[in-house]
Amino acid sequence: VTEREIRTDYLARVEGEGAMLVRIRDGSLEEVQLKIFEPPRFFEALLRGRQLTEAPDITARICGICPIAYIASACNAMEQACGVEIGEEIRLLRRLVYCGEWIESHVLHVAMLHAPDFLGYDGAVELARDRRDLVELALRLKKAGNELMRVIGGRAVHPINLRVGGFYRAPSRSELRALVPELEWARGAALELVRWTSGFAFPDFEQDYAFVALRQPGDYPLERGRIVSSTGLDIPVEDYERHFSEEHVERSNALHSTLAGVGPYLVGPLARYALNQGELTPGAKAAAAEAGLGPVCRNPFRSIVVRSVETLYAVEEALRLIESYTPPDPPAVPVEPRAATGCGCTEAPRGICWHRYEIAADGSILEAKIVPPTSQNQKMIEADLAGVVAASLDLPEPELTLRCEQTIRNYDPCISCATHFLRLEVERL
Amino acid sequence: VSGGGEAAVVCLGNRFRGDDAAGLLVGDRLRRAGVPVTECADEPTRLIDGWDGVGTLVLVDAARSGADPGTVRRIELGRAGIPRELGLTSSHAFGIGETLELARELGRLPGRVVVYAVEAGTLAAGAPLTPAVAAALDGVAAAVRAEVGR
Repeated sequence: VTEREIRTDYLARVEGEGAMLVRIRDGSLEEVQLKIFEPPRFFEALLRGRQLTEAPDITARICGICPIAYIASACNAMEQACGVEIGEEIRLLRRLVYCGEWIESHVLHVAMLHAPDFLGYDGAVELARDRRDLVELALRLKKAGNELMRVIGGRAVHPINLRVGGFYRAPSRSELRALVPELEWARGAALELVRWTSGFAFPDFEQDYAFVALRQPGDYPLERGRIVSSTGLDIPVEDYERHFSEEHVERSNALHSTLAGVGPYLVGPLARYALNQGELTPGAKAAAAEAGLGPVCRNPFRSIVVRSVETLYAVEEALRLIESYTPPDPPAVPVEPRAATGCGCTEAPRGICWHRYEIAADGSILEAKIVPPTSQNQKMIEADLAGVVAASLDLPEPELTLRCEQTIRNYDPCISCATHFLRLEVERL
Repeated sequence: VSGGGEAAVVCLGNRFRGDDAAGLLVGDRLRRAGVPVTECADEPTRLIDGWDGVGTLVLVDAARSGADPGTVRRIELGRAGIPRELGLTSSHAFGIGETLELARELGRLPGRVVVYAVEAGTLAAGAPLTPAVAAALDGVAAAVRAEVGR
């Protein structure tokens, strides 16, 4: 009996939190185990007893890369619970700041984390050695997204200007117009990103995914919409728990999400694109066509191209929103608490981020439930890994390990923002 | 390595993850003493933009090496490269180590970079600070102030 085990701890920045195990026995795949994401149970507990107005700020701390996703989902849920209509101007400003988050998050992942896999580099540092121009372009493009978040959100990280009901302060037209020249530059840079990534060599691998995304006729999905799937689901966000369930996996603390009658499903760029590409801007549509994406992309390795197309979309959408911007006045609508339950769901860069809150009459939170995108994708990532490994058993160990890591990175998993500490391997000083 | 230009202090971590808050808590102490601090609880590549014109950069972060919790290390980056013990061995998780290396590659790394690493005990979500880590924070803050002449 020959047994091969591949373990990677590249994601294991906290022991016991992120790990992958692939076991191959006698030349065939026996088991794939992945544990890359810790559900935000701590935050759900922290929210209980707090005021509904505190939820956006607290949940924003779950992820340093996509705070707007958590803020927007929490705001939607609280507004639904309290029966508040925020109005078009506030909604569009929320959509605009969300575009900034997509640009920042997508560019970081595409250029710094994922592209090196396809080009044979260990990472962005090695890539910068050979292609300094591309890394500089990516950093500047990412900064254009940061600036949107800073001007609208009050600061680039953990935005403080968003609240249940709207904003504390609406930026002026001129503050937003000042961002236009850099966003015009960013449009060309994002197109370059699409052209660059679409030229990569992609492993020949496809899955018959069940795609799940938001849909809002007239918009590529971001800050609102119904939950739809490629299997025919079409529900309001408050019906999520009737159709989706999280099951606890015994061998780890992970939760596996499934769609009733379907099983594991996929959220994120491939799903949004498959279900909504008709809503892309003309420029993003043309770029997708030029990149050869077709109407549906089932190769997860090509998610890097879809992310680049979505970056271009977010830039063009931001320009459109700034062009037609009217500062909401007042910047927020009043929110009167009432005993109720509300749900909110928005499209984080990694896929739908779903929240439910039960509120008491005094506005305190009785119960919170948060389902982030990576937790929903976890079971699908395992399925991808099993397929990729089964097709690549003849690869030598280092190549197979790298291919597994690349497969996980196809999903841009949220693990990277769980902690920020240095991994010191030498104990003396 | 010359350290002309301004001094900047960056404190990294996550306030909700036990001892991973160490860097940020040192930052709180520095701010109270009037030392300007950049806080980073997200991905760090954006920090590079703040380093133009900076001569001395001091970073404070939690670390994990197997040493006793609360152990403090001072590491001055040399010209030759960023030492391996900064945790650059993993491939793609883009941490502060990778960010420093990227800045060096792009010619944007300050001339003098000093890292204060506080060994963490627990990094579990919601965990309280390990007493030995808490006890180390004042000393690190004082050392950083001496480092930047404040």
